[in-house]
Amino acid sequence: MSQKNRALKLSALAVYAFLYLPLLIVVIYSFNDSKLNAEWVGFTFKWYDKLFHNREMLTAAGNSLIIATSSAMIATVLGTLAGMAMYKYRLKVLPGLVLAPIAMPDILMGVSLLLFFIMLNMSLGLISITLAHITFCIGFVALSVQARMSSIDRSLTEAARDLGATPWQCFRKITLPLLAPGIIAGALMAFTLSIDDFVITFFVAGVGSSTLPLQIYSMVKIAVTPEVNAISTLLMLLTLILITLVARLSPGALRS
Amino acid sequence: MKRLLASIVFMAVTPLATAATQLHLFNWNDYIAQDTVAAFEKSCNCQLVQDYYSSTEEMMAKLLAGASGYDVVVPTQNAVQALIKQKFLLSLDKNQLPNFKNSDPGFLNRSYDPANTYSVPYAFTTTLVGYNEQQLAKLGISPDDWSVIFDPKVLEKLKGKVTVMDDAEELFGAALKYLGYSVNDRDEKHLREAQQVIMAAKPYWAAFNSSSYIKELTVGNIWVAHGYSSDMVQARADADAADRDFNVNFVLPKQGAVLALDNMVIPKDAKNKKLAHQFINFMLDGKNAAALTNEIGAGNPNAAAAEFIDATIKQQKAIFPDAATLATLETIEASDAKQRRLLNKLWTEIKIK
Amino acid sequence: MQTKHWQQRLLTLPPMSYLLIFFAVPTVIMLFASFRYAGEYGGLAPWYSYEEGKLAFDLTLENWQRLFETDIYLRLFAKSIGYAVLTTLLCILLGYPLALMIARSPRKHRDLLLLLVILPFWSNFLVRIYAWMIIFSPSGALTHMINSLLDIFGLAPISLMYSPTAVIVCLVYVHLPFMVLPLYANLEKHDPALLDAAQDLGATRWRRFWKITWPISLPGVYAGSILVFIPVLGMFAIPDLLGGTDGIMIANVIKQQFVESRDWPFGSVLSMVLTVAAVLAVLLGAKFGQQAGQTR
Repeated sequence: MSQKNRALKLSALAVYAFLYLPLLIVVIYSFNDSKLNAEWVGFTFKWYDKLFHNREMLTAAGNSLIIATSSAMIATVLGTLAGMAMYKYRLKVLPGLVLAPIAMPDILMGVSLLLFFIMLNMSLGLISITLAHITFCIGFVALSVQARMSSIDRSLTEAARDLGATPWQCFRKITLPLLAPGIIAGALMAFTLSIDDFVITFFVAGVGSSTLPLQIYSMVKIAVTPEVNAISTLLMLLTLILITLVARLSPGALRS
Repeated sequence: MKRLLASIVFMAVTPLATAATQLHLFNWNDYIAQDTVAAFEKSCNCQLVQDYYSSTEEMMAKLLAGASGYDVVVPTQNAVQALIKQKFLLSLDKNQLPNFKNSDPGFLNRSYDPANTYSVPYAFTTTLVGYNEQQLAKLGISPDDWSVIFDPKVLEKLKGKVTVMDDAEELFGAALKYLGYSVNDRDEKHLREAQQVIMAAKPYWAAFNSSSYIKELTVGNIWVAHGYSSDMVQARADADAADRDFNVNFVLPKQGAVLALDNMVIPKDAKNKKLAHQFINFMLDGKNAAALTNEIGAGNPNAAAAEFIDATIKQQKAIFPDAATLATLETIEASDAKQRRLLNKLWTEIKIK
Repeated sequence: MQTKHWQQRLLTLPPMSYLLIFFAVPTVIMLFASFRYAGEYGGLAPWYSYEEGKLAFDLTLENWQRLFETDIYLRLFAKSIGYAVLTTLLCILLGYPLALMIARSPRKHRDLLLLLVILPFWSNFLVRIYAWMIIFSPSGALTHMINSLLDIFGLAPISLMYSPTAVIVCLVYVHLPFMVLPLYANLEKHDPALLDAAQDLGATRWRRFWKITWPISLPGVYAGSILVFIPVLGMFAIPDLLGGTDGIMIANVIKQQFVESRDWPFGSVLSMVLTVAAVLAVLLGAKFGQQAGQTR
């Protein structure tokens, strides 16, 4: 038994190394005093300094935050409704519609939305990106809410109704508070997915609506400086902080 | 949690609130000097916001997919022609462009825009071969011939060390030149011959690459790159600055190559037309135009810039071609829909096979 | 009962209409676009004309014919599916031991171990690709190491950047968590008593694994496989940045039709084929998953 355990642990360790070494390299090179991610020259903070003076990057970060916040909020409302409906009723169309955007490759949603927006003569920009992000976020919120619904004890709401509560009171005072962890987890997931999305944004972005991932893509493609490493390192740090925060706030949220 | 959300929203909205007047420029990557950007922003008290493209096709696709709101775009001559035909461009108000007189008459009134109604020359480049001097010398390969990119016998020694442009018109142009045809030859038989040449050479190439070959040459990952003259100037300067144990150089292949004249235009739906004219006028100023050559390494169609340009750059035939060299260079002409569809089909086949 | 009906509408209608407008309608538009002509300079040509009081439709099968004109597009699909299958298998190979190890470690460690799997997944997707661009770069440490090793044995140096190998490694790297999570969710629920009983009956370690753990975990394997297979099939960024001249996949050609060649109708044709492939994969995976769930 112990021999097998050791083999298992060793291979798992190797996989962890596979997961983390590449990211470690990105971080290390962000402090390298050379323009060309090749050999180690010396330690520096200058790429971070440059980054904070890179207006295009800051604008893109601002755009990303605007898009992620608004699409997460709207997707959370719509997704919560969908999740509750999917749990409560035997529906035919809605579950398919909610799951399909999750199941389809991103590029398909990107190009079909591009065709759609152009057909409507809509100019591409922050609004088109937000509309697109809401579309793929709804499903994730809905699933998270649906999962939480199934763990709520039905007798609670029934008891409330028996005691004369209106459906709205019942929802407001009982269902909603109990659902909150599922909704928060869904909202956070939507926020992360939106801020991370590259493929769909790539197709529906317009003038002056570059987001962080688009900016990183063009930097990676043109491959100029370790500023990319610096922004990557900062993003990883931010995510780490967010996750720790979430873990503190609602320990259950990460598990779902 | 509420406070967290509120602060996120606040952070998100701040950049909007502080935004000054903006000029949206859609330009080739690495095609304007940083100092020029700063100087213009100071002079107009505005922000210059840039988006980049690395091929004409990419730029056209973006514009035609409804990307409205750019104030100035820098298309190559054949794209200018296509954009005029589509009634996409604003007719320029020359009264707002006093520096227009600085343009070298040799670059004005060309067939793509006979009276320069819509466009003003910005800079020009040639598409040529950039190479690692030491490595090629070691192998005994001379880079001044398109065979360095297309001949499998030569490529055997360079396997995985060559990149070519990810751009149908440029790559077919080079292959057509290699075969002795015109870059504008749209005869299907000749195009198929060019396709065969490209297919035969493809296994030896590392990648189709229109954007990061500057870096790859500088680091030494790539020994031969098909690309724009201005980019090769950058690569050479970067390699020198990084104290590499090799030099990057460039040369026009003797069969001839593509010359691209890039122009400034204003789309009809530009949001800030007055500022757009102001920017064009600024770039036509001799000193600012000269920076395009001194900092970026582009050829200059501005007569007033001549006195500010570094003498060493002026002597390079690949950047400022003399009459004899000019005779071997061709500009790409706009093709009609049918020709374009054929070229795209052949190009897609190349990419897949 | 009236209120219940009303409630159901209130819950269902907003998300449903949103998804209908922004997901279903665009998909139908894409299908329709695959029968239209490309505009002269890009975009789409008008699909009807009205002349002399007569309505005429300008629709065509030409774009679909082009798909079957040569075998290169079908071969490209086959190649992309091959890449996706290989990536999925490699993800199982790497993800299974990891998921098993986490499922069998003490309960208090599991959350942390799982979080460590997800953490890299929360860093931007392009950053993860970028990491491999640095590693594979000919001047990077890994290539140096491999080549000096090869040199000892007198073999020619290799280049990892711009190769199908680079694409596959990066695809596996990016999608591994999608495999580990459903596998873990399944493995965690296994009853250890089964394994103990088998051991008491004298079954060897391998036998116990293949006869008990593996069959019970199959629904997890299928779920993970779908989660890996489908996004890989639609991937263009990784082949774009690491693939060189040889590692192109179907999504790259779709992207090319939309953002370079300006041939939207043909891009729509390829997208529709990809849609069908993805739907088939989901149905197939669901069917196998169900069967595996029933037989246990």
